[in-house]
Amino acid sequence: MPKAQFIDPVKVRAKGEVTFSPIPVNVYSKSVKEELDLKHFTQEDLVRIYRDMVVIREFETMLHAVKTTGGYNGIEYNNPGPAHLSAGQEAAAVGMAYTLTLDDYIFGSHRSHGEILAKGLRSIEQLSDAELDKIMNEFWNGATVHVVKKNFSGSTKELAIRFLLYGALAEIFARETGFNKGLGGSMHTFFTPFGIYPNNAIVGGSGSIAVGAALYKKVNRKKGLVIANLGDASMACGPVWEGLTFAAMDQFTQLWEGDMKGGLPFVLNIMNNQYGMGGQTCGETMGYEVAARIGAGVNPQQMHAERVDGYNPLAVIDAYRRKKELIEKGEGPVLLDVLTYRYSGHSPSDASSYRTKEEMELWEANDCITTFGKELIEAGIAKQDDLDIIWKEIKEAMFDTFKLAIDDELSPRMDLNKNPELLGTMIFSNESIDSFSDATPDVNHPMEENPRVKQIAGKVRFVTDKEGKPVSKMKQYQLRDGIFEALIDRFYKDASLVAYGEENRDWGGAFAVYRGLTEALPYHRLFNSPIAEASIVGTAIGYAMCGGRVVPEIMYCDFLGRCGDEVFNQLPKWQAMSGNLLKMPIVLRVSVGSKYGAQHSQDWTSLVAHIPGLKVVFPVTPYDAKGLMNAALQGSDPVVFFESQRIYEIGEMFHEGGVPEGYYEIPFGEPDVKRAGKDITILTIGATLYRALDAAKELEEKYGMSAEIIDARSLVPFNYEPVLESLKKTGRIVIASDASTRGSFLNDLARNITELGFDYLDAPPVVVGSRNWITPAYELEDAFFPQPSWIIDAIHEKIVPLKGHVPTSNFTDAEQIRRAKAGI
Amino acid sequence: MATVVIMPKQGQSVESCILTELKKKKGDKVAIGDLLFAYETDKASFEEEAKVAGEVLEVFYNEGDEIPVLVNVLVIGEPGESIEGLRPEAGASASVEAVDEKPQEASAPQKETIIPQPQVAYSSTASAVSPRARALADKHAINAASLKGSGPGGRVIADDVEAAVNALPRTTPLAKAMIKEGGLHAPAAGDGLAGMVRSSGLSATVSQPTMTDGDSTVKPLTNMRKLIARSMHASLQNSAQLTHHLGADARRIMELRKVAKANGLNVTINDLVCFAVVRALKQYPQVNAHFEGDSMRLFNHVHLGLAVDTDRGLMVPVVRDADLLSIEGLATRLKEVAEACKSGSISPDLLSPVAASFTVSNLGNYGVEMFTPVINLPQVAILGVNTIVPRPKDLGGGVYAFVPYMGLSLTYDHRALDGGEATRFLKQIAIEIENLNVEL
Repeated sequence: MPKAQFIDPVKVRAKGEVTFSPIPVNVYSKSVKEELDLKHFTQEDLVRIYRDMVVIREFETMLHAVKTTGGYNGIEYNNPGPAHLSAGQEAAAVGMAYTLTLDDYIFGSHRSHGEILAKGLRSIEQLSDAELDKIMNEFWNGATVHVVKKNFSGSTKELAIRFLLYGALAEIFARETGFNKGLGGSMHTFFTPFGIYPNNAIVGGSGSIAVGAALYKKVNRKKGLVIANLGDASMACGPVWEGLTFAAMDQFTQLWEGDMKGGLPFVLNIMNNQYGMGGQTCGETMGYEVAARIGAGVNPQQMHAERVDGYNPLAVIDAYRRKKELIEKGEGPVLLDVLTYRYSGHSPSDASSYRTKEEMELWEANDCITTFGKELIEAGIAKQDDLDIIWKEIKEAMFDTFKLAIDDELSPRMDLNKNPELLGTMIFSNESIDSFSDATPDVNHPMEENPRVKQIAGKVRFVTDKEGKPVSKMKQYQLRDGIFEALIDRFYKDASLVAYGEENRDWGGAFAVYRGLTEALPYHRLFNSPIAEASIVGTAIGYAMCGGRVVPEIMYCDFLGRCGDEVFNQLPKWQAMSGNLLKMPIVLRVSVGSKYGAQHSQDWTSLVAHIPGLKVVFPVTPYDAKGLMNAALQGSDPVVFFESQRIYEIGEMFHEGGVPEGYYEIPFGEPDVKRAGKDITILTIGATLYRALDAAKELEEKYGMSAEIIDARSLVPFNYEPVLESLKKTGRIVIASDASTRGSFLNDLARNITELGFDYLDAPPVVVGSRNWITPAYELEDAFFPQPSWIIDAIHEKIVPLKGHVPTSNFTDAEQIRRAKAGI
Repeated sequence: MATVVIMPKQGQSVESCILTELKKKKGDKVAIGDLLFAYETDKASFEEEAKVAGEVLEVFYNEGDEIPVLVNVLVIGEPGESIEGLRPEAGASASVEAVDEKPQEASAPQKETIIPQPQVAYSSTASAVSPRARALADKHAINAASLKGSGPGGRVIADDVEAAVNALPRTTPLAKAMIKEGGLHAPAAGDGLAGMVRSSGLSATVSQPTMTDGDSTVKPLTNMRKLIARSMHASLQNSAQLTHHLGADARRIMELRKVAKANGLNVTINDLVCFAVVRALKQYPQVNAHFEGDSMRLFNHVHLGLAVDTDRGLMVPVVRDADLLSIEGLATRLKEVAEACKSGSISPDLLSPVAASFTVSNLGNYGVEMFTPVINLPQVAILGVNTIVPRPKDLGGGVYAFVPYMGLSLTYDHRALDGGEATRFLKQIAIEIENLNVEL
């Protein structure tokens, strides 16, 4: 809510109407001959367009044969993996790629073989032989090109085409020589040196990720545009719509300043083959009639939307020439509805029972390749013989590629027998990188002039002052100050770093962590996003894929559900699925709520800890918060950084000397002993630490029991050794957090501790979590979240009866069984 | 089909036996009646014969192994037959009851499927011991399961073991170190200040190194020797023994022996003495008894133990209800048990010290004139019978003559009997011997 934008009630309440401009539909009408005469293309260009379409057709024909007949050209091969084919859509793919340069990026869907090949072929055409050699020889240290080079004597460009076909096919067949070491497969393969960014097996998955890539280009002043190639059916997906709203934010043109002013260089290219699985989008599952209509609902420019005849490559090229110009002028984003048709089913198991034979035959009779070939002949550009030679050569190249890609010696799979932990080493990149940019960071003033920095300088960095007296709240260096110090430090070190979320700027974030950053940073480095978590996380993923560091924020942990796919399917997986080509330097700040009831107070750390590929931390002291945030911002992996709204104000009461003013990192995975003791260990995650401290005090005073308290700090990774050391001493352990008990990560800790420390145990590890209920109102929370008394009761009931203790909560075995039976 | 040969159960109280000798090994042919292996219990040795013919397919144990009874020892069958499933489980338990119950368990049909409702704590039972407590108990050689648990549901936790450790006598650092080094153990109470255990108070659990010039060989004790050693030592340590000696005119029983011989009856002097002892015991029930610390167990009948010297060592078989037997019956039974001891076929139940109510040890045959037999606890006394020697006797009227006298040595536990009682009992034996009146 920028003050610069005045909302005048007179204006906004005045009578009027919203008007729309007509959305063009299939306006292109030129013939090949006309285009040639206008010198829009050379003859060679047009023949190459034909050739590129043939490459795609044959590639998909080969895969179709493999999937449906168990082989190709008489050679048997079984490909158990997926193959969502795009025969019929060649003109749309080649047309889309034609105007693009190496600076332009494409993102795809599950059905993107055609787009990869089209963009790859176009890039090969644009690159010099020397550049191609360099790319091929550097990629996997030449391992991929080495296979295709064998016995091949053609030109560098021809070799590059075979390299492209082989890299993609070997990837589809899960070979280590594939573009992504066989870890991505058909639905995820990509090759960034040609501007080909990841496809996505989740429908609409690229809808927000590609927008983040466009954001990266804009913020980091990189040339080029970004295209999201999505199917028509994905227009129904919420995250796609969220990506559109993010891409079309007014602030790009109204609030971002200087060279940052202007729309995002983003194109939503709907590969409209008119079906989603067996559902027909127009007439059955959607209501838009024409997909281009969607643009009218997004912004006054209607996203410059139009429908293009995707059966004619020249019509698509014509549209891109016009749209590219708009984007270069800062008038993006753009939406294109490229009408096309797929011949095969959704997948080889789809018998196309939802459409008539007549319909399919009619589209095949108008086949985009045959039609374009005829036009080439009619225009005198090629003879039938020339076209036949193209087919012959492509088929030969494809057959050669096929044979190479199924050869287990030339194209081995990752050897997980010989190297059982190889995949394990690829889950995280574990790098330490000061900055992802060579540029000078855009900031508004020197750090020491920042008002928040000045304010913090006057604060006491420990809970007590030099005389040992408690510090007043106003003078107290708080947990939120620790996070702030780490962030502002990185903003001044790494020009690529951006942060955004719901309410991040003028307000200073809902919890005042970012107060002061508004003054320090221009809009394009810190801004408010739409209330659209899928776009917040999705765009961050695209931003990081392109090589930028980013801190998205989820205001309440409960909202993780709104970005489930992004957090569970995208963020954790791309490093490994890329064969470690991509890094994911994202610190996702997630604030765990309090006081606000069932949908604003849940600790969902367990959900993210369950997903392989995410680092998960939950610091609860100012010292830990600053140190872990520094470590997160120095790394190259996705970190989900949990904060608790209960304790943003808390001061440092553990680290001797208070929170250091300078830079320091706390390594991930190291639990920390916050209170030494000898009779029992209490291991906590999150703000429950402070309740455990209260319990420890009572245990000491009333029962003479000395509790050692360990703060987990990290969930993933986690070092059990310090906990086992403590257990050796105490023999007893309670594990507590605010997460609901069932399925909680606490149980994971308990299980591992039981296995690793069995011989030291004097009682089973006891888990004290929240009840398996909704979080009630603040006034009732004591019945839901673990209280100090619960910890004592649990010890009394399950570990060692405490003399004279009268429990107030029920930790008996019978009650445990009853609750489980009732599912509560 | 392959036949398994199990370790037989010799007697109710026997849980395991030592395999002393394997007479057949894997691959040997056996005929019915062939000896397969020899084994011994605490007190007796036995031999197992083949009850089927065939080839020894597998032997699961080696000589010297202690084998729980009823566990498979070897398998006889046709060459090539599978022995899968016949192999005894690793660490097969000596629990006789558990083995006995197995067939019942297998055949018992599941009739009811009522799901029990949880009434009490599931995770802990009275005998549960936490892993930590168990480890701590092992370290201090304490039986954790015997402790009273203070954990939830009575689980024995580390605190309980620590309390038990603290209840042990305080020990000097030197003594502690010596105990840790091994080989020494602390007495229940020390001889130092306030019961402190000192290094000098420790006792050895293994033999001390001895000077040796090479002119010796070390022979490990047999199981039986160890047992005799333990019980004899315990007897002298744990009771108040003393011995009275007294002579009895042996003319009468020597006469009876002659009569028996003339009548072709195998009744020995010893049989006659034992018969006399049984009669005396019937008049002194406090001697036909066990001393049990705070009570005496008096027997209605006389279960007479007889010390028998065998190749394997001293054995004391019992003739139960000896007071119900005639002299001939007693003589027969005494011979039977003695023979059984010598051949090793005696039932271990008849060798238990608690099986006898009184014991007679006769060394007269060897010419021993006087000895102090050691009581077989918990019995309260034992009679040593010595050789017969001629002794001058005043026959009255100034006439002295040499008369055969039999020496009697009664060792009794002064905790159970006083000197007067013991003397009167011993005198009664002499009277019975001198006036024995039996039909022969």
